[in-house]
Amino acid sequence: MRARAGFRDRLRRRAADWARRRQGLDRLPLTLRRRRLYILPTRAGIGFGVLVLAMLAAGLNYANSLALLLGFLLAGFALVAMHECHRNLLGLALIDASAAPVFAGSVGTLRLTLENGSRLRRHHLWAAIADEAAVALEVPAGARAQATLPLHGTRRGLMRIERLRISSSHPFGLFRVWTWIHAPLLVTVYPRPVGSLPLPVQRGATSGARACGASGADEWLGLRPFREGDSPRQVAWKAYAREAPLLVKEYGASASPLRRLTLEDARQPDLESRLAQLARWILDAEAAGESYGLELAGERIPVDRGAAHRHRCLAALARYGS
Amino acid sequence: MRLASALRETPARPLLWVCAVCAAAILLHAGAMPPWITLTALALVAWRLAAALGAARLPGGAVRVLLGLALVAGVLEQFRTLDGLVPGTAMLILMAAIKLLETRSRRDQYVVIGGALFLLLAACLRGQALAWVPLYAADALLCCAALAVVADGSGTDAVTVLPTRDALALAGRTLLYALPLAVLLFLFFPRLPGHFWALTSGSDAVTGLGDTMTPGGITHLTASYDIAFRVRFDGRPPPPQERYWRGPVLHEFDGETWRAGRYAPAGGQQLDCLSRPYRYRVDLEPTRRHWWLALDTVMGSPSPSVRYTDDYQLIAAQPLSQPVRYGAVSCVRSRSLAPLSLSARVADLQLPSGRNPQTLALALRLRHQAGSDVDFVRAVLAFLRTGGFSYSLNPPPLGPNPLDDFLFHTRTGFCGHYASAFVDMMRAGGVPARVVTGYLGGQWNPYDGTLVVRQSDAHAWAEVWLHGRGWTRVDPTAVVAPERLRRGILDLLPGSVSAPERLVHAWPWLGAALERWEALNGWWNERVVGFDSRSQLDLLRQLGLRSPALRDAGWAFAAALLIWLAGMSWRLGGEPGAARPDRLGRAYARLCRKLARAGLPRAPHQGPLAYAQDIARRRPDLAARVGPLLQDYAERRFGPAAGGDPRPFERAVARLRAGRRETRRRR
Repeated sequence: MRARAGFRDRLRRRAADWARRRQGLDRLPLTLRRRRLYILPTRAGIGFGVLVLAMLAAGLNYANSLALLLGFLLAGFALVAMHECHRNLLGLALIDASAAPVFAGSVGTLRLTLENGSRLRRHHLWAAIADEAAVALEVPAGARAQATLPLHGTRRGLMRIERLRISSSHPFGLFRVWTWIHAPLLVTVYPRPVGSLPLPVQRGATSGARACGASGADEWLGLRPFREGDSPRQVAWKAYAREAPLLVKEYGASASPLRRLTLEDARQPDLESRLAQLARWILDAEAAGESYGLELAGERIPVDRGAAHRHRCLAALARYGS
Repeated sequence: MRLASALRETPARPLLWVCAVCAAAILLHAGAMPPWITLTALALVAWRLAAALGAARLPGGAVRVLLGLALVAGVLEQFRTLDGLVPGTAMLILMAAIKLLETRSRRDQYVVIGGALFLLLAACLRGQALAWVPLYAADALLCCAALAVVADGSGTDAVTVLPTRDALALAGRTLLYALPLAVLLFLFFPRLPGHFWALTSGSDAVTGLGDTMTPGGITHLTASYDIAFRVRFDGRPPPPQERYWRGPVLHEFDGETWRAGRYAPAGGQQLDCLSRPYRYRVDLEPTRRHWWLALDTVMGSPSPSVRYTDDYQLIAAQPLSQPVRYGAVSCVRSRSLAPLSLSARVADLQLPSGRNPQTLALALRLRHQAGSDVDFVRAVLAFLRTGGFSYSLNPPPLGPNPLDDFLFHTRTGFCGHYASAFVDMMRAGGVPARVVTGYLGGQWNPYDGTLVVRQSDAHAWAEVWLHGRGWTRVDPTAVVAPERLRRGILDLLPGSVSAPERLVHAWPWLGAALERWEALNGWWNERVVGFDSRSQLDLLRQLGLRSPALRDAGWAFAAALLIWLAGMSWRLGGEPGAARPDRLGRAYARLCRKLARAGLPRAPHQGPLAYAQDIARRRPDLAARVGPLLQDYAERRFGPAAGGDPRPFERAVARLRAGRRETRRRR
């Protein structure tokens, strides 16, 4: 059993490699043409074929015209079904594929935008990343539709999505048409934000203008949408209870201390744990509305705060060592 | 818990479809199955439905196995075998129904649909009558639509389910596209003459001639309005009184029942044809018997697999399970050249001892009075003519000596009574004689020019051996009811015929409609059901091949396949056409066309606003009219109010024509 599964995996990989060599790299937006559509009978389709063969054998043997006619009719049915299945993907366009950065160990989303310029509804498509589990969608005639694929951030770093797969076995499930799209997509996988060390106390003085006018109290800045990594303490639960979207209270940190986070401060046994601790600190600092900077070997990110800064820091952690 | 998971894994809608498909396949066979099988299978389907709707529990594995074993035992008890079409079909029906009970995954659903398609095949093998074809087609459509429903499964947030109407339309359209291929393949797929393996067909209910005759046993045949066979003559047909269609010849008599006895082993005897030979083709409906019918007396076997016996019967090696067509040559008057063999003489003089003593005495008396065998025949016929006999299809029951009863008491009967009394008396008088059963007459169908012989034309007559003339046909019924020869039973006895016959008699238009229908049936049986390797070669010959062979059929098959594939690729293989724009888009396209006619075509890269600027530059006079319109379009299309009512814009575009004409006039 395992040998068979191994064989199938190998076969699948070789087929994928072959398609990759054959098709070359793709650029989005991309219209699915004949050259990149592959079609094979499904298991149900093979069963159907055996059934039709049995019908033809019975019809021929018993010289029964009606049985032969039925067999031929169903054979034709399968052939037409093949064309219809193939047509369900033909001419469909993949407009865009984009993914927000994701933390290692969590599930992000990859968003595919498909456009159907034809007057046929594209029924029951399946979209997937490489050989992972597929997500169903359909695209009405002359419209666009989005598929949201789960994206598993496995390892810190830059995750390269080599291959997307769009398939369909509509209308009768006898055939499955699929296409591979090789439009390399880089997704930043932040380190997993874990670590229990407290935010390091700043060595040296708080710096620059930000230190002035310390009032001791945070300044209320407003509400902003919830983002991954925000602390639950910061969420505007009252607003949420009034059926508003999940919002986060932002406080100005005019008087908060400046933090310069370094790899050495994160006292953890190995590099990955250190990076994880740093990520945790960044999130915490951001959530607390504090300003922070990051110093890594060869990279120095000045003190700042905000979403773009947070991404810059986390991305630096993700890239670190590669 | 189990129910809940079953429902979650098998969403209800595909399951309902699979149940419908299964029930339809079961009902397709309801006519040929013992009622308990149909009812059991339907009950199992109902069980699954109830479980899907939450009203019942599904049985566990052990229950299913026990149920399956019990049903197999039931089928064995019913048929004594699992071999053969009907027992096999019964098994398949029950197994499909049990499979339905354990249907949880999509794969199981596919298996049940496959079983339903196989049951459709079994129905085709059982009967190919034209009347069934719409039903078969509907069942095929249902199965294919169920494939579509099962393939799409249940809907999710992202995907809607295929509505029932769409599923049927999709399956119907696909089958319609497949139909030309099916016809081409049907015509050109190389057919084989003969079978790979033999068909074992059950000896189930038989209508038609039997191999025994008990006077009274033919009554039920008379009631049947079914067609026995059709005949098409080459040239002039024989006169009505000569249309005797020869079937089983009965030699053995036990006082009540005539039997075929052992068939004479010898091959056909040489016949001397005394009339012109008639050439014709017979389309024989399946009888599940060995006999092939032919005009009395046929001159030889129409097919190598059919034996021509020395009592001029045609006996096939296999019972007839499918309609068959054959050509034959017959002489309505003929003479046997060979002398009567001793064994035949013994067999055809055999009489049961001690039965029908009065008949025996009468025969001996008449034999003594008659000078020759011919005179004896005449004397017996005269007795039947003058003895106060009458023809009736509902004769009174007869006692232990049926012929005595008939000849001396009831004096009422039909062909079977007269033939059997006559042959009995001939044998008693020492003249070799035998009963021949078959059909007499037939009706012309004016729409296809065939002679239609029905089961109600069944008849029995006698043959006696006369010196110098050989076997001679004598029809004692004709003496009593001479009209029987010229007209059908219908005209003769309007009171004692079946309901359909009476209806046809009462309303001639119904008869005409029936004749048309039967002509259509004849065409179907001849051209579709009867299409075989020979018809295929004929077709190739008509297409211009001089001496076609099986290989040529293969080439034609390949060519037909290619042509269809090309057509299908052209029809379906291209990219689906562009979507039709919405109303706003169409109105905009109209506007652009109008402006293009005025010499201001829109460049492909231009949006509405850039187009408006372009127009303002090139035709300032138009700008005041067209500019706001294009602005309006841009707002309706891309602005915050996009998706609103496009009608004001449409009206504005329609009005623009007048405006342009004004500008033109002004210039």
